[in-house]
Amino acid sequence: MTMKNNDQRSSLFWLVAGLAIAFYSVKYGLGALSSPGPGFVPFLSGLAIATLALVVFLQQLPRASKEKLSDLWVQKDWPKVLVVMGALVLYAVVFKTLGFLLSTFLLIFFLLRAIEPLSWKKVFLGAICTALGSYVVFQVWLAAQLPEGILGF
Amino acid sequence: MDFLANAVMGFQIALQPMNVFFCLVGVLIGTLVGVLPGLGPVAAISLLLPSTFHVSPVSAIIMLAGIYYGAMYGGSTTSILVNIPGEAASVVTCLDGYQMARKGRAGPALGISAFGSFIAGTLSIVGLMFLAPPLAEMALQFGPPEYFSLMLLGLIILTFLAGGSMPKALMMAAFGLFLGLIGMDIMTATPRFTFGIYFLSDGVGLVPVVMGLFGISEVLLNVETRLKQDVFETRIKGLLPNLQDWKDSAWPILRGSVIGFFLGILPGGGAVISSFVSYAVEKKISPHPEKFGTGVIQGVAGPESANNSATGGAFIPLLTLGIPANAVMAMLLGALIIYGMQPGPMLIRQHPDLFWGTVASMYVGNVLLLVLNLPLIGLWVKILKIPYPVLFPLILLFCLIGVYSLNNNAGEIGLMLFFGGVGYLMKKFSYEAAPLVLALVLGPMMENALRQSLIMSDGGAGIFFTRPISLVIVLISLSLLILPLLPWVSKKREVVKDMAEEE
Repeated sequence: MTMKNNDQRSSLFWLVAGLAIAFYSVKYGLGALSSPGPGFVPFLSGLAIATLALVVFLQQLPRASKEKLSDLWVQKDWPKVLVVMGALVLYAVVFKTLGFLLSTFLLIFFLLRAIEPLSWKKVFLGAICTALGSYVVFQVWLAAQLPEGILGF
Repeated sequence: MDFLANAVMGFQIALQPMNVFFCLVGVLIGTLVGVLPGLGPVAAISLLLPSTFHVSPVSAIIMLAGIYYGAMYGGSTTSILVNIPGEAASVVTCLDGYQMARKGRAGPALGISAFGSFIAGTLSIVGLMFLAPPLAEMALQFGPPEYFSLMLLGLIILTFLAGGSMPKALMMAAFGLFLGLIGMDIMTATPRFTFGIYFLSDGVGLVPVVMGLFGISEVLLNVETRLKQDVFETRIKGLLPNLQDWKDSAWPILRGSVIGFFLGILPGGGAVISSFVSYAVEKKISPHPEKFGTGVIQGVAGPESANNSATGGAFIPLLTLGIPANAVMAMLLGALIIYGMQPGPMLIRQHPDLFWGTVASMYVGNVLLLVLNLPLIGLWVKILKIPYPVLFPLILLFCLIGVYSLNNNAGEIGLMLFFGGVGYLMKKFSYEAAPLVLALVLGPMMENALRQSLIMSDGGAGIFFTRPISLVIVLISLSLLILPLLPWVSKKREVVKDMAEEE
């Protein structure tokens, strides 16, 4: 069992996830076949996930190789993914309090500089134009209700 | 004749200045998102959906439909000039389209995709016009068991055609089904799997999931690989294909149209798969298959026609059964419900103006695309020259605004980001996202149909096998599940898979 490929690794995850779904569904009540309860179909879906995960795992047994998890990230600049994700999560958190204009300015400013750095001047101008431009299009023109936040307008 | 009167009514609606305007806006936005890699029609539709709430439903659907088929036109431009598919459905166009561009024949390649798209688009609208009304009449006889079997078949077809590992695709379908069930149970009002998060009791929204899986994750994958975009630096001259080009392309365009239309009808079929099938067919019947991949015009004309034709076919299950064939149609289904219409067999009868108006607007839109697109290619090329480090923050911002403005709920941004991460990992471990999305939409409908069927039969699963229509559908589903186990079929599927992976 020491030799696993990545299909097997992921299928183990789904096996657990499927069983967990099926297990929790029982709590919601399976009902009888003639009157299925709220947990009935989720239970079936969890069971299906687990069964299929098992199929994938067994299918891959003869093909088990020394494929490493890190093979999926060879020659990839994966820290950038984390940086972008982090920035987006932060944006979602401060979006309401800081308001659309300010948080958008900060997000674009950061993304333009952190991933493939442009010059400070371009970053600054780009962030201002994007924040104001998207504000005009979405808030003023399309009347989306974006949060005002601390800038208060 | 009824049909003629309806068609005339459709054009009267579609040609109202307001509707022509919305059609124009739709096809322009569609072409734009088609041209831009990493931004597709699904994202564009979800972004614009909230802004359509204050126009009439007909105008709104006309615009949203325009985005869809407009994107198919736009996708080819990027494939041919940059060798990056602007749209998933244009992946195969890269193979020969980019080679044609390198040989200095970018003009005819772009030209034949536009003409092929126009011809195929028009043919498939004719098919839609003739097929949809009688199919809707037939669908009136469907009860819950038939609906359940049909939706199951749709999911299985999608996993069968998707290429790659079928158990993995089915697993994603089951997971999507589960996601679709999160939230309030319709029959008993029990909140399920909401973990105390309030907005989840309305269910997991389609828009955050789709924008996460297709928008955010795509950007993440591009950020880590550092996409190089070399727009082909050449004067694009002579967009009009010459006589020989037309001779070479006429049959591929017609075959592509037929293939696209019928694969488009199948739930889960759609534009991507039909373009692959069309390419494979052209290569197979060509007297010089070895020339494919070196810049033959058939390799562009066929797939580009097929993906456009598929858009017409894809409307059929939505408008006749209320079952969306793909993620874009699922968005339109959501839109119809928001506008207070019940998609299903009664739709054409209850809202003839919507059906015939939309169909007629698709003719108008195809003409607009043909007239506008060739002169506008210069503009699209300029847009393509925007470097990715500048473009990707904008794509992310569009996703953020689009998801937020749908319900003004910051929690949905979180949900989108979560699925962005999930989608990124799914791509890494090669799991298909399409079955998940389709199942997410079908989930609540399937659950209802299954529970109603079981209540009807008093708990007997035999109900799916004793009713003739349902039995036929179930048998087809089963054979699709068994077929891949046969050696020669599995070999064929491998080939298609390899073709998909080469890109």
